[in-house]
Amino acid sequence: MSRLDSLIRRLRAQHACLATAADMMHTLSGPILELGLGNGRTYDHLRGLFPGRRIVVFEKYAPHDPMIGPGGADLILGDIRDTLPAAAPRLGAQVPLIHSDIGSGDQALNVRLADFLAGQLPGLLAPGGVLVSDLSLPGLDELALAPPASVAPGRYFLYRRR
Amino acid sequence: MGGGLDGRGLGAVDWRGTGTMSRLDINIRRLETQRACLNLMAELVRDLPGPILELGLGNGRTYDHLREIMPGREIFVFDREVSAHPDCIPDAAHLLLGDFHETVPQAAARFAGTVALVHADVGSANAQRDARLARFIAGFLPDLLRPGGLVASDRDVAFAGAQSVPAPASKGLGPYFLYRRADADEPVDAAVAEPARPE
Repeated sequence: MSRLDSLIRRLRAQHACLATAADMMHTLSGPILELGLGNGRTYDHLRGLFPGRRIVVFEKYAPHDPMIGPGGADLILGDIRDTLPAAAPRLGAQVPLIHSDIGSGDQALNVRLADFLAGQLPGLLAPGGVLVSDLSLPGLDELALAPPASVAPGRYFLYRRR
Repeated sequence: MGGGLDGRGLGAVDWRGTGTMSRLDINIRRLETQRACLNLMAELVRDLPGPILELGLGNGRTYDHLREIMPGREIFVFDREVSAHPDCIPDAAHLLLGDFHETVPQAAARFAGTVALVHADVGSANAQRDARLARFIAGFLPDLLRPGGLVASDRDVAFAGAQSVPAPASKGLGPYFLYRRADADEPVDAAVAEPARPE
């Protein structure tokens, strides 16, 4: 599998998982969380899926082009391990959708981030809220859902609060 | 490869009722178009000897794909600088660094009429600059390509003596430009006025 194949497979998995998640939670109100802005591709997709909905983005560094993400208080810059706990009290347990795409080629860091996210994210979800993640989050087996059949095993992960 | 974006993806959110494409949709279509066109070119070039030129290394994604679908073929890569993944950088003998305006004319002299396939992935957000660069590259394609040699590009590099190559049949693809240098005794498309536009 070439890097071109691999990227297509990743973007297809994102697309399919966000569509499945949207089907499950679009009737729930509240702000959506996007962890990792990157080049703004999925942020733009979320805006299309949920027109007018508030989307709060967590990103490590300021984007090279401010137009690709939200402005003002909805763009929270810094290390997610600092910024997410600081924002959690304001967000409460009422988030209908979290998309987390902060994995990298650094597997040791991925493991630490997955542990952190597994401890933080379930507590933010509204009942029926959905979590879509590029990293497998440990200890959340009770919340795990099967991704759409088109998604290769281990590529993207879905969780839902009962 | 998957079909268009009219499948499970957008269909699952029909409650929204709009049909606009997001940047995620557009990126998927662009990459799947590129892959389908390169895979087609790999079939067509199989019995055509000669080197392959990749204009634009970028992060090395399509170079990685070219070497995978055309194992054993010699691939020369052109770019201003190297910003690719370390696994996707060709050896020094196959990496021609510098401005296209210098390296492409040098290549035309070096590879004179022997190149089997040129992939020019040169598009940017600047359409005017892209069009100028595409015209510049097009001017050297007749000198680079062997008779029957192939070109695939994300910008229109229609050149003198070109025939359009029919686009891949897959549904849901975006535009890509596919050409073939006619053999000496073959008719040429009238000014290649109609570039390949997969729909």
